[in-house]
Amino acid sequence: MSDYNLIGKRMPRVDSRSKVTGKVRFTADLNLPGMLVGKVKRSPYAHARIVKIDTSKAKALPGVKAVVTGEDTEGVKWGVFAYTRDQQFIQMEKVRYIGDEVAGVAAVDEETALKALDLIEVEYEELPAVFDPLEAMASKGPLIHDDFPDNINVHVNIDTGSVDENFEKSHYIREDTFVAAEESYFQAEPYAVVARFDEEDCLEVWMPNGGPHMKSKPLSNAFKIPLHKVKVKKIAIGGAFGGRSEICPVDYICALLAKRTKAPVKIQFTREENTIATRQGHSMIVTHKTGVDKEGQVLARETTCYMDGGAYSSTGPIATSVPFLSMEQAYRMGSVRYNGYRIYTNKPIRGMIRVHGRAFACGVDTQLDMIADHLSIDPVEIRLKNSRQPGEYTSTKSQVSSCAMDETILKAVEKSKFKEKWGKLPAYHGIGIGTNSVQTGFPMGIRGGSQAFIKFNEDGEATVMSGVVDNGQGNDNMLVQIAAEELGLLPEDIHLVSADTETTSSDPGSYSQVSTFVGGQAVQVAAKNCKKRLFDVAAKILKVEPDTLAAKNRMIYVKDDPEKSIPIKKVVRIALLNFTSVNAQGGYWPKVDMKREWVSNPFGQMCEAFSFGTTIIEVKVDPDTGQVEVLEATAVQDVGKALNPLVLEGQFEGSIAMGGQANLTEYHDWKDGRVLNPTMLEYKLPLACDMPPKINNIIVESVDPKGPYGAKEAGMSIAMSAAQAYAAAVSNAIGVYLDSYPLTPDKILAAIKKKQEEEAKQGAKKARVN
Amino acid sequence: MEKITITLNVNNESHEVLVAPNDTLLEVLRDQLDFTGSKESCGEGVCGSCTVHMDGKPVRACLTLALEAENIEIKTVEGLANGDELSPLQQSFIDHGAVQCGFCTPGMLMSADALLNNNRQPDEATVRKAISGNICRCTGYAKIVHAVAHAHNPHQGCCDCNHKE
Ligand code: FES
Ligand code: FES
Repeated sequence: MSDYNLIGKRMPRVDSRSKVTGKVRFTADLNLPGMLVGKVKRSPYAHARIVKIDTSKAKALPGVKAVVTGEDTEGVKWGVFAYTRDQQFIQMEKVRYIGDEVAGVAAVDEETALKALDLIEVEYEELPAVFDPLEAMASKGPLIHDDFPDNINVHVNIDTGSVDENFEKSHYIREDTFVAAEESYFQAEPYAVVARFDEEDCLEVWMPNGGPHMKSKPLSNAFKIPLHKVKVKKIAIGGAFGGRSEICPVDYICALLAKRTKAPVKIQFTREENTIATRQGHSMIVTHKTGVDKEGQVLARETTCYMDGGAYSSTGPIATSVPFLSMEQAYRMGSVRYNGYRIYTNKPIRGMIRVHGRAFACGVDTQLDMIADHLSIDPVEIRLKNSRQPGEYTSTKSQVSSCAMDETILKAVEKSKFKEKWGKLPAYHGIGIGTNSVQTGFPMGIRGGSQAFIKFNEDGEATVMSGVVDNGQGNDNMLVQIAAEELGLLPEDIHLVSADTETTSSDPGSYSQVSTFVGGQAVQVAAKNCKKRLFDVAAKILKVEPDTLAAKNRMIYVKDDPEKSIPIKKVVRIALLNFTSVNAQGGYWPKVDMKREWVSNPFGQMCEAFSFGTTIIEVKVDPDTGQVEVLEATAVQDVGKALNPLVLEGQFEGSIAMGGQANLTEYHDWKDGRVLNPTMLEYKLPLACDMPPKINNIIVESVDPKGPYGAKEAGMSIAMSAAQAYAAAVSNAIGVYLDSYPLTPDKILAAIKKKQEEEAKQGAKKARVN
Repeated sequence: MEKITITLNVNNESHEVLVAPNDTLLEVLRDQLDFTGSKESCGEGVCGSCTVHMDGKPVRACLTLALEAENIEIKTVEGLANGDELSPLQQSFIDHGAVQCGFCTPGMLMSADALLNNNRQPDEATVRKAISGNICRCTGYAKIVHAVAHAHNPHQGCCDCNHKE
């Protein structure tokens, strides 16, 4: 079906012109008259009781306009769920990680603000700290949060029943443990906030966000002011990757300083602050026990996962579930038991990240390869044997409607020549496959739907209002593309007002792969409603029935007789002269099971659609240095429908970098709760020269029955499957299944050495026998 | 520290600014002259997002003192276009989908522009090398590499170059 004007076309993004000219403003680029510089005083201890805070010297410093501590707050605790409210925005009693917020300062310039921070005297009484999740669970020391015994923040238990029976029926059972260190977002834009109270005492605030409405509600709670008095404003955002989805204590601190000083305040994070005081990925230890029949079909799986959650809950219940959900969507299992524990430690707070749960996902796939090895079947066959099929239910009872998982596997295999290469490549040269599935959203209660509003202007152009935020992935363009397609306008005829809590309705935010599916669809519905109004008017003028009409290139025309047409602009003007509104609204609410809850009831329809992705990677490993050279990447995803292949490919390629390449180098190093590599100098982000010279992007369209034009989500199941494919390829190259991520040269060299020693021993044994 | 007045020549215009000896060129460009196109991402010379040209050569403005930039032609991303007319490189970034969040884009453009000024038709390997001091977290670089390589040299078979015609 290519009778679309814009949908499915390679459309350059509407926001790119302002970005290539340097005109677009990010938060740190804002300069308001009279603006002060804000800075945050952070805890130097991983775990300590606050005995006393003396701000008098700081307050007396000339140029300091305000100093705030926990005493100045309303004491409202933050947590994503009612049962995870565990974080004060400014700590009063206790600090729980190195970097915890203890005070804020606003001053005339940065130098003065920094001096003031040094003049704030905080007396601490140090407490024993824990930095390892297993130690934290066993610790007899003071709890990190008094009401969470054994430092267990979240325990997700999922049991479909029949697990033990199915293990008994299994032909072959393996149990393996996989570990991964924490990685970080490293969004290009360091976090920043600008806040001011306007003449009506409304809080106006700008910051990178994964959904402006996720920011306004906690701010209204914290200040105890109505929601309409909090205006989170639209601003360009330099990447999120899951790390901008919640309120940040500094949003509140900045606003509080603005309130105290009656002036705009800007807080700009250093790169180090962005790493330690926004979010990080979870490190984890995962044990998968899997039982299969003779053909390699999974009959039973039992997974236990310990995640290092850091000092506070953040999105804990979601974070503990998603690694499991992605894999239960990707592969069928006869039965499964999952125990996921998110453990508090005295480390920075962990959130959801682009590859959420690399030990989990790489573990499932690596173990499948091990099983295939044992059964003498190839990695492709075992995947096809267990891959998700359309119409099925996942283990936790979500129905999967559109699903082209097998097609992604087969296309990737064909393009990469996997069959020709696997097992036949020279030494230290390997190829590996990973497959994954990602959900488009999850039940979010009253914020699960999105609503859009479209107003036609008298010149025949339109303003579209939507709560969807663009973090850099191209959501603004997606909304304009959909509106223009439906209304029969050109992209330049659409003015987008979005991600602004004063003017746009609430939306689920752009951190659960739901922006196109829900937010885009809301715009589509609004545009259809708006078009209907225009068609009613046009039909009268053209003397035809409204359902015979279509709109394209600023014209409304009769489908079977395109010569019979009228400009949209004219229809709008005639409608207005005839007292007819040409505006419309529309919304979309995914039909999910509202009773599904992460911990208390993890069963029921999770979301309406799931994406499926397969990545194949070919590598060469240098056995002397452990360095990995990636020769080629093949990324294939079932996206439902490609609204804009140009943007989609960009998501695939970015996913190969942040999902796959990152699995070679990205992790944090620690000493007593302190991150040793918080900056770009020490933390190794992929560069242009590190990337595979060739990335094959293949788009598979299963056309989802519920998605807008059939679309689902773009790129996330590539990011996840890329991490798995990198692990598989390196394992294949060195002939050792690696179980610790990322796959750094030291681990690769150690594995090669161990293997060589074992082979030598075997050789010696054989020689003796002979 | 005592401040001194210097003249900075940015995008062919002179500006008198009062700077402290430790003010970086990036701070002065952004905070005093409102050239906020140049970004600070790492602040320590690693990411390249602050890249500007000094006498045609790409430099990291976060590591350059404003004082060092006196009497030198400085060009920022705001100086790339000719009025409303984008440079071929800027247009190529748009057409090839090389811009996602756009935070790295100004620095990327300045590094790439410096390359193209010496070599109008670089191959992909050359481009990768030239932009290896610029970190992009969004794109995986593939589209950026194409945008630079094809900026003055449209490739047959590249659907995003054809798009331009
Ligand atoms: S900000 Fe100058 S190199 Fe990163
Ligand atoms: S486009 Fe976002 S960092 Fe490059």
